[in-house]
Amino acid sequence: MSKNRVSKTSSSRTVQCISRDNGFTLSFFAMASLCEVLIDTHDKKLAIRMGNVAANEAWRIEDKYSRYDKNSLCSEINANAGNRVEIDDETYHLIEFIQQCYDLSDGEFDITSGVLRKAWFFDGSDNIPSKKRVNELLNFVGWQHIEYSPTYIMLKKGMEIDFGGIGKEYAVDRTIVLLSDIANIPVLVNYGGDLAVSGQKKNNEPWQVGIEHPSFTSDTSSFVTLTSGAIATSGDANRFLLKDGHRYSHILNIKTGWPVELPPNSITVAAPKCIQAGFLATLALLQGIDAEEFLKEQDILHWSIR
Amino acid sequence: MQLKKQNKSNLKALLTTATCALLGGTVQAATQANTEETWEFDTALMHYSETDRVSATEVIIAGKKTFVNDEVLSLKLTFDTLTGASANGAVAQPTPQTFTRPSGNGQYTIQEGETPLDDTFQDTRVQFTGQWTQPWWEGYTVSVGGNLSKEYDYTSISVNGNIARDFNNKNTTLSIGTAYAYDLIEPEGGIPDPLSAMLIGDSDDPSFESEFNATRIGSDDNKTTFDVLFGVTQVINRKMIVQFNYSLSTSSGYLTDPFKVISSVNANGEAQEYLHENRPDDRTKHAFFGQTKYHFDSGFLDASYRYMTDDWEIESHTFDVRYLIPFSNGHFIEPHVRMYTQSAADFYQPFIQEDAPLPDFISADYRIGDLDTYTVGLKYGIPMDNNNELSFRLEYYHQAPKSNGTEAIGVLNDVELYEPIDAIVAQVTYSF
Repeated sequence: MSKNRVSKTSSSRTVQCISRDNGFTLSFFAMASLCEVLIDTHDKKLAIRMGNVAANEAWRIEDKYSRYDKNSLCSEINANAGNRVEIDDETYHLIEFIQQCYDLSDGEFDITSGVLRKAWFFDGSDNIPSKKRVNELLNFVGWQHIEYSPTYIMLKKGMEIDFGGIGKEYAVDRTIVLLSDIANIPVLVNYGGDLAVSGQKKNNEPWQVGIEHPSFTSDTSSFVTLTSGAIATSGDANRFLLKDGHRYSHILNIKTGWPVELPPNSITVAAPKCIQAGFLATLALLQGIDAEEFLKEQDILHWSIR
Repeated sequence: MQLKKQNKSNLKALLTTATCALLGGTVQAATQANTEETWEFDTALMHYSETDRVSATEVIIAGKKTFVNDEVLSLKLTFDTLTGASANGAVAQPTPQTFTRPSGNGQYTIQEGETPLDDTFQDTRVQFTGQWTQPWWEGYTVSVGGNLSKEYDYTSISVNGNIARDFNNKNTTLSIGTAYAYDLIEPEGGIPDPLSAMLIGDSDDPSFESEFNATRIGSDDNKTTFDVLFGVTQVINRKMIVQFNYSLSTSSGYLTDPFKVISSVNANGEAQEYLHENRPDDRTKHAFFGQTKYHFDSGFLDASYRYMTDDWEIESHTFDVRYLIPFSNGHFIEPHVRMYTQSAADFYQPFIQEDAPLPDFISADYRIGDLDTYTVGLKYGIPMDNNNELSFRLEYYHQAPKSNGTEAIGVLNDVELYEPIDAIVAQVTYSF
């Protein structure tokens, strides 16, 4: 689920390098998030080089798949709904992955659901849309209406896709691939709370990772130790509607167009790859009250905040 | 949730397969599309100035480009200009001394009590080096390079190759390297006949030129140098790395300095003539080098020691310590101390007595005599935007030639035979 976004123009594309114990932290701003890459090396030039590779990859993915960027491929696909838009190998693989997520989730994970935002404004108000309006919009929702091949994608007129649910996680995984190609040293890639690690730290020491959450206060924040793999977090406690004492979460059931009942405020999932963790966290939220049970049944390590 | 219940046992497995295709399949295409291959540049302006002697200005432009598959190309261009005077090897005298310039074009006079310096020392040098380094197969890195250096009267060409192997999770690296250099010297005025006396006459005399030419044996000469280097680098822990090198260097050919002479003195220490020096035409050096870098909480220590010995009986010890102290604003300061001590070559003599038998090899060049040098310096670095860096270096360098035990005789007791030299090095570097 997409989180609060900050205008891209608010930051320039620079990479900061800060020395810390055991190495360097390279930080930059991408995909509306603070992005950090922790590199355990004392070779500053190498760290800077790896930081630049990470930032360039994050920016590349942002430029290509952000629906907020009018020049992105995502915007091009949406703007040309009804027509075929040419895609490259990378996009095809990403769409294939989304297709499999759609299948695995029995159609609950659907990147065309963004259209429903035209009816739902999760601003804390009591502004609940009419059933009629939601049903109208549901005509433009449904991954099954998407036609694609290795070379093109075509949306039905009026439909939109949004890579926001997996873009950041994908960027984390891609960055890990690129960085481990450069050097076999311990690296932690953290893009706005979605993160993955690679390489073995000295003495096989784990990384200590704080689970980020907008509503966290110091007494509820928790640390996770990670020696390999990734974690991703879904949810946003500050986005909901309240009417007649009923709290409407911003997690929408794609079948009904209506909010899921009682999902956790946030759920953090561990998986070998960040994109897997991201998908599982989103899928868990879609189970509403059963979110934790769903993950438990699947034997998936997770941390839930309600 | 019906379908998910069916998938209950294999959701993770199915997801793994799906992800494999995604993250495995796009590596190539995406790598090409986005990894920026940028050049890193270092530019430096250095000024070296000895009190009353040589001063040198050097401009360095170095570029390094790292390609996606870890290939590294380094190129470096250096321009030097040297001006000033350098010791010609003769001893100071209580009376003025006249010398003929090595070119044969005119003469110069040195005042009483002063160390004879040849003031025609002037040269411009252009040097170009290139190095290509790349991973070879699993765990191996190879590197090849070349160097070309050209001065007015000197040309040097060299090639080198190196292969390194990582072991032990890249914590240990063994390397072996070799280099070959060819140097050609074409001094203005030609190569002097070894051990012949410098012609001191009236340079305006019509017969001077032919007499001068009689002290010359050719217009140029050359030498070749072959080096082999073995190295081991070991990561001790996350804070410490050590390195040991052994290198063997053999030179053969013209190893004499055509501009250096030695005073031949009488029993009272008074110079009678100046003989052109002569050095063996072979030299074998062994050097042992150890270095450690340690990351303290407060900074980085870089300490090294080198021991060199050769078959000219020169032995030297070099201690070099740098400590980089970073500040919280990203600036850093790096104090530097270097100490060097060397014992003289077996054919070194500050002067020779005219009635003593003339050895085959002899040189009064203080640079192969007993010598201590000290360097103390400071570097200050300022980070700039986009990871660029500006740094300043200021160093004081002191050279103290020492007696090799030769007893001064007669008038030589009243002059400075081993004049120390002070120099200042100032450098500005901008890396971007």
